[in-house]
Amino acid sequence: MTAHGRPNHRALAEALRRRVLDGPGMTDRAIRRATAERAAGGPAMEAPYDDLARQLGESAAGVTDEQVASVVRATGSEKAAFEVIAAGALGAGLLRWQQGIKALDEATDAPA
Amino acid sequence: MRLPEIERGDGVFNRLLIGFISLVSRMRLPDAARVAFYHKDFFATPMGAWTQAAMRGPSTWSVGERELMAALVAKWNSCAFCVGAHGAVAAKEMQRPAVDAALADFRAAPISECLKATLAFLEIMTLQPMELSAEDAKAVLHVGVGAEALMDAIAVGALFSIVTRYADTLDFAVPTANEFDRAANMLLKRGYAS
Repeated sequence: MTAHGRPNHRALAEALRRRVLDGPGMTDRAIRRATAERAAGGPAMEAPYDDLARQLGESAAGVTDEQVASVVRATGSEKAAFEVIAAGALGAGLLRWQQGIKALDEATDAPA
Repeated sequence: MRLPEIERGDGVFNRLLIGFISLVSRMRLPDAARVAFYHKDFFATPMGAWTQAAMRGPSTWSVGERELMAALVAKWNSCAFCVGAHGAVAAKEMQRPAVDAALADFRAAPISECLKATLAFLEIMTLQPMELSAEDAKAVLHVGVGAEALMDAIAVGALFSIVTRYADTLDFAVPTANEFDRAANMLLKRGYAS
């Protein structure tokens, strides 16, 4: 995806968000969306996802084995747990993307 | 926590591929590459597409400068794996002393004023995203960074805020300096597309 020969970051970010949070997976979309939102500072969600999502958002270096193991048990597989981890990481990253682009757009008066 | 299925690969083809690459390269395939093979359609494909575009696509930033941004974002996220991996790639494109100086204190490093201003923006975006303002963006534009270049840097910062989080959550093994150096050659040659 390029715009005038340049990467179209907005489209690439949206494609990533859509696939991970809205697309098919082994986990419920609602769990993935809530995890992404929680990792971006959003509201608490049900256990055991809440602990992992909150820690992923604040500092992934502080994520514990038990937090991950609990999500593996709750989802029933490593692949499903990976979806939750990816959703949380994405939520924290997209928060930064949106904040960065908002600052840039406001500085240049570009449309959002 | 490491997930054994990512370690060994999901499916026979990926297991053979991981084994083959490790054999040919004579080093353990880094965990970042294993994740790139895992549950590919769900995450690695769209993630790789954006990462490849941001890190290797057309930009006024050099590949080395973008890799240095990634390494600094990793430092602010306390991700040893990503600091080592992207610092090693940056060092192949820039001078190693400049990379080390930037990792220690980018404001005092022998890098351009444009890069310093952009890194200052990325530092706020990484650590205090809700504090980021138009004034921070204007400060970068004021030193001569173009709006498109700042957007490219924001993409790098966002992407490595994602990568560092799954790297630490999945407890990526940290290779030796020599292995990072060899893996950097692969990243320069192959890029990030999955």
